[in-house]
Amino acid sequence: MGKTKRLPSIYLAIVFIVLYAPIFYLIYYSFNSAGTMHSFENFTFDWYREVFQDTRLFIILLNTLVIALLSSVISTVIGVVGAIAITRTREKRFRNALLTLNNVMIVSPDVIIGASFLAFFVMIGIKLGFGSVLISHIAFCVPIVVLMVLPNLEEMSPTLIDAARDLGASTWDVLIRVIIPYISPGILGGFFMALTYSLDDFAVTFFVTGSGFSTLSVEIYSLARRGISLTINALSTLIFLITLFLVIGYYIISKQGMKLKEGGISQ
Amino acid sequence: MPEHIIIRFENITKQYDNDPPVLTDINFELERGKFYTLLGPSGCGKTTIIRLIAGFIQPTTGGIYFEGKKINHISPDKRRVNTIFQDYALFPHLNVFENVAFGLRIKKMKPELIKEKVEEALRFVNLKGLENREIAGMSGGQQQRVAVARAIVNEPEVLLLDEPLSALDLKLRSEMQYELKELQRNLGITFVFVTHDQEEALALSDEIFVLNNGAIQQRGTPTDIYDEPVNKFVADFIGESNIIPGVMIDDYLVEFVGNRFECVDKGFYPDEPAEIVIRPEDLEITEEDQGKLQVYVDSQLFRGVHYEICCYDKDGNEWLVHSTKKVAVGSKIGLDFAPEDIHVMRLGETEDEFDKRLESYGGVRHAG
Repeated sequence: MGKTKRLPSIYLAIVFIVLYAPIFYLIYYSFNSAGTMHSFENFTFDWYREVFQDTRLFIILLNTLVIALLSSVISTVIGVVGAIAITRTREKRFRNALLTLNNVMIVSPDVIIGASFLAFFVMIGIKLGFGSVLISHIAFCVPIVVLMVLPNLEEMSPTLIDAARDLGASTWDVLIRVIIPYISPGILGGFFMALTYSLDDFAVTFFVTGSGFSTLSVEIYSLARRGISLTINALSTLIFLITLFLVIGYYIISKQGMKLKEGGISQ
Repeated sequence: MPEHIIIRFENITKQYDNDPPVLTDINFELERGKFYTLLGPSGCGKTTIIRLIAGFIQPTTGGIYFEGKKINHISPDKRRVNTIFQDYALFPHLNVFENVAFGLRIKKMKPELIKEKVEEALRFVNLKGLENREIAGMSGGQQQRVAVARAIVNEPEVLLLDEPLSALDLKLRSEMQYELKELQRNLGITFVFVTHDQEEALALSDEIFVLNNGAIQQRGTPTDIYDEPVNKFVADFIGESNIIPGVMIDDYLVEFVGNRFECVDKGFYPDEPAEIVIRPEDLEITEEDQGKLQVYVDSQLFRGVHYEICCYDKDGNEWLVHSTKKVAVGSKIGLDFAPEDIHVMRLGETEDEFDKRLESYGGVRHAG
């Protein structure tokens, strides 16, 4: 009995070690004073200090955060409106077509999205930089938000809207007082997903950054190409931690949403 | 239009795309302060009627009038009508107080007034003290009461109830029936209650509309409808009944199962084929040779209050008898009934024709 139970957990442990070992390897050497990734000499925060003293890097970090926050907020708004529009579409074939178009954006490789955006921006003459990165981030975040919000909208009983109308609510009241509060777990989830996707996107951003503008993932890539420096390790560690916090935040929020739902069933 | 009429349906037809119509040429008037029930099997169009009154849908043709004014295209938020939904449709993200206050907040009423009104409404439905509870943590009966409070706090002229009791268990259901009836009496407003449960309809209503296939089959007081069903559908749907083919020989004389019986119906052609309705509780069990009918007892079920006895006559017609007395299965018994227990239905007669015929011989709808 004990053996059969232990085997799956050993397997899981191995999988996770393999998955996370490179990241922890990288984090481990970010504290190495020797400046290489093979022999650990002394513990140091030097690389982190270097990261924080590098104003160029700091500006890039700010760029990344601004892009991530702006694109996730805007794509949340667009995504929520889009999801509501999709659920309101009566014609089944049209609705499925919309959903499929949405999902294609999620499954298609980033490289293709990035390349096509580059072609698009060049074609219509948008200068590459902040604007082009923001637009393309919004573009790949919207489908994620739609996908996160849709289940909430679909489980919402249509009589709730009837009831609100019946109690005197205008269409706007219905949206603000009933629909948005009801789907708020999905909206928050979508927002956090969009935030993490935008923060760590490399492929799409790489195509559309141009020369004057950069985000962290693109910057790390170019640093790594120039030569191994442990500042990359320190920077990566920081990004890893930020992403980790976002995931934990998302987990806590979605768990609260689950609790609400469970309460609803046990009437 | 007379003052006491609050809602009028004039030649209402509702049809979706090219499907057969959900409602066909519906006409009725609802009076102020009465308890109406729309009764019928699922898909008969009863919910469509209250959705039309609420304004969630518009009729394909015809006019809906509220206090004499046409309201076909008035949106639901502007109608002085509130609905209690089958699934209650309470807002899960709001607590009890905020659910009830929803309509008042939209009207931008003063907070103190809202508090007062919500508390009064909650007192009305016996939920005082539960203002801060979450909806998810409440029982079905409590949710039902919140739904009632949320509707009546807006002081509607008409309250629409869409099968509000169907999700409750039997005991709670009959409790809520009493409460709803009392609520309607206390508020003095018009209730339009939708149900497929004939006992519920009989117990609560001032007037019942029996619907089938998108048309009103019969309307009347519960006793009218129970005692004088206009056709086989109504007779069958309202309570249990024995429906047997017969021939109307002459006024006050009907023949079935090979015998002629005195009855109280008239206005038929001589020797017109008809259907005979006798309610199971109107049949009295006698000795085999003393009854008007002789039947063979096929089976018997104990139903608590009475025995449900299933018998067959010599022609093979099934007779359902409700009796407090037990009989031996397999024995032969007699069945006795009075002339007024027999109700004769003309084949294919509509409600209007039925009413006309009743009027032609004095308009006596004998009470049960």
